Amino acid sequence: MTAAAPKKGPAVEPGGFPLNEFIVFSLIGGIVVIGIISAVIAGATPKGILTNLGFYVSVAIIFSVLALGFNLQWGYTGLFNAGIAGFYLIGAYVAAIAITSPAPPIVVGDVVVYPGHLGGFSLPLVVGVLLAMVAAGGAAAVVALPALRLRADYLAIATLALAVTLQIVTRNAQNITGGAIGITSVPPPILFQGTDASFLNAITMVGIGGFVLFALLVILQFMSESPWGRVLRAVREDEEATMALGKNTFSYKLQAFALGGALMGLAGALYAVTLGYLSPESSFAPAVTFSVWVMVIVGGSGNNRGAFVGAFLIYGMEWLSVQVRDQAASGLAANYLLMSVLFIALGVGALLAVLAVQFVGRRVLDRRRAWLLIAAILGAFGAAPAALGALPIGWCFALFVLLFGFAFVVDRAKKSRRARAGIYAAATLYGVGWAFILLQQLAPNAVADSFFYIRLMIIGALLILLIIFRPEGILREKKRVLR
Amino acid sequence: MTVNAVEKAFGGIRAVDRCSLDVAPKSITGLIGPNGAGKSTLFNIIAGLYRPDGGEIWFNGTQIDGLPPYDIVGLGLTKTWQIPHELRNLTVLENVVLAAKGNSGEHLLNLFFRPRAVKQDEKQWRLRAREILKLTQLDNLANEHARTLSGGQKKLLELSRALMSDPTLVLLDEPVAGVNPALTGSLMDLIERLRREGRTFFLIEHDMNVVMNRCDRVIVMHQGRKLAEGPPATVKTDPTVIESYLGG
Repeated sequence: MTAAAPKKGPAVEPGGFPLNEFIVFSLIGGIVVIGIISAVIAGATPKGILTNLGFYVSVAIIFSVLALGFNLQWGYTGLFNAGIAGFYLIGAYVAAIAITSPAPPIVVGDVVVYPGHLGGFSLPLVVGVLLAMVAAGGAAAVVALPALRLRADYLAIATLALAVTLQIVTRNAQNITGGAIGITSVPPPILFQGTDASFLNAITMVGIGGFVLFALLVILQFMSESPWGRVLRAVREDEEATMALGKNTFSYKLQAFALGGALMGLAGALYAVTLGYLSPESSFAPAVTFSVWVMVIVGGSGNNRGAFVGAFLIYGMEWLSVQVRDQAASGLAANYLLMSVLFIALGVGALLAVLAVQFVGRRVLDRRRAWLLIAAILGAFGAAPAALGALPIGWCFALFVLLFGFAFVVDRAKKSRRARAGIYAAATLYGVGWAFILLQQLAPNAVADSFFYIRLMIIGALLILLIIFRPEGILREKKRVLR
Repeated sequence: MTVNAVEKAFGGIRAVDRCSLDVAPKSITGLIGPNGAGKSTLFNIIAGLYRPDGGEIWFNGTQIDGLPPYDIVGLGLTKTWQIPHELRNLTVLENVVLAAKGNSGEHLLNLFFRPRAVKQDEKQWRLRAREILKLTQLDNLANEHARTLSGGQKKLLELSRALMSDPTLVLLDEPVAGVNPALTGSLMDLIERLRREGRTFFLIEHDMNVVMNRCDRVIVMHQGRKLAEGPPATVKTDPTVIESYLGG
């Protein structure tokens, strides 16, 4: 198509076209676009759409900070933290208690409506954030101190225990944490009045979060790529050997773990001011820990870009599933005939495209670019059914496209067997998509209700595929070439 | 360095059994013995990786048994591994630079408060590492991942890392096993040269050519104890050594 493309398909030199980055950022872009389309379908105002997007970005930033902390601990140093949610909780509650105004118990007659919570010190936000980091980092150090001397598994057990215990304690220590109701009315950084308040607040949070994330990425990059970071990576590779090279590995592990914990505390503080209220039930459940693992694994551990990209991607899927359920699904659930036609057209189109590339495209386009083009076209089509509200189909289709991407683009070097596996998996997904269409005809409500829950299965499937095709994550750790 | 009545048991097996020996400064001392004699275990004890059950180890007037490995390296005693412990996903050059002692950039606070010194230090250590890699003939692989090296090259990497810490005593655990004959010769030449510069080498080796021609003294271990000691020529003819190790 483009005249500039090389005639035959020589392997594009490494470091040429940043394919992995392209894939990742198109996926994140796709999430944003589909989210916007859903909102438009539901008739949202531009400000409403931006508020919603702002929420996505600011929560994704919070998860990015968590992922960066975990990446420092696990990706760089090899320390497995199974209690991310615990350090996150400490940060959130410490910050909230520090910056809220006093909250006395509310008693109506003999009934305690609200137990109140500790403090209400009305401190400035910056102080609250710093306290949160110190508290979470300190807790990480205290947990790590005994556990780091033991075998690796004990650290995981100790941190998991801490997280579970903390959640139970926050629920029951009513006078300190507000119990199950939690801490309400955490003040936003700037208090806005009037109809645009939530919009302005969302924009402020994106600004603050963006600044924090940017600063963190710069500092972390500087630290982790320094001689200090090199020792951390050495500990990850082989602790005994690193010790025999004269490094006090215990001290490095402690530093990495405490700093990672402090970052999780920072994320907690950001969460408290972004949401404006805290309750122990869902926000700090073990699922948070698992999500962060997935983010770092999917994005690629051992490099800071991977952690932050993974957070935007995985939280993006979460956000999108809510977005589509609440907005688009209600609007256009009826158009399944259209969807079926689209799906057939897409299937046939994909087949034709495969054949075309196999037999013709090779001569016109460099093979990799040809597949990329096809993936892009199919991806664009795939957005349609998803946006129209048939989310399971949309997801299946998106994965179908993704698989072709993996099978032929990413894994081009040893393509034969894995590529075939990719095609089989893609075909299965195509079938699953059809099953959803049929199910929708038979039991309309079942699909609408279930797809929200199916997202976890899809993330799980994505994870399995990733482990098969690319165990090092989408953005892999780069080789450090020293001059 | 003096090892005095050191013992170490794993379960019921007495790997090192009240073993005593001396390594003279600026010597190349060989340690030989049948498989399972306790040679590598003794090395691990000296380097601080295992804690001895009893006995004392003295190095340059300091008692080092019970010290953590990194402190022992700090005193100038380094060991290499029999099975290479290369840091797989670091490059060869990173592996070697990492072994430098007192690189200021490895302290977190220095990164922020003394950035200039950190840069200087790192630059200087990288130059030093490249020099060492030239000596061990790995310089053309400097920016490859250590996992891509062959078995023999990994041995060379072990030696490079040991030299990087500027040690006075190096424990070499089978330094030339898997290294081709020509390179073995130049490696041992290098070791002899470094010895003339004032370093001490204590090495386990099964290559009798190396042991007999290059070592000043040879210590024979058998069943966790020192069996014999002396110049290579004497040890070679010792009947107990022939019986337990060299064979008729």
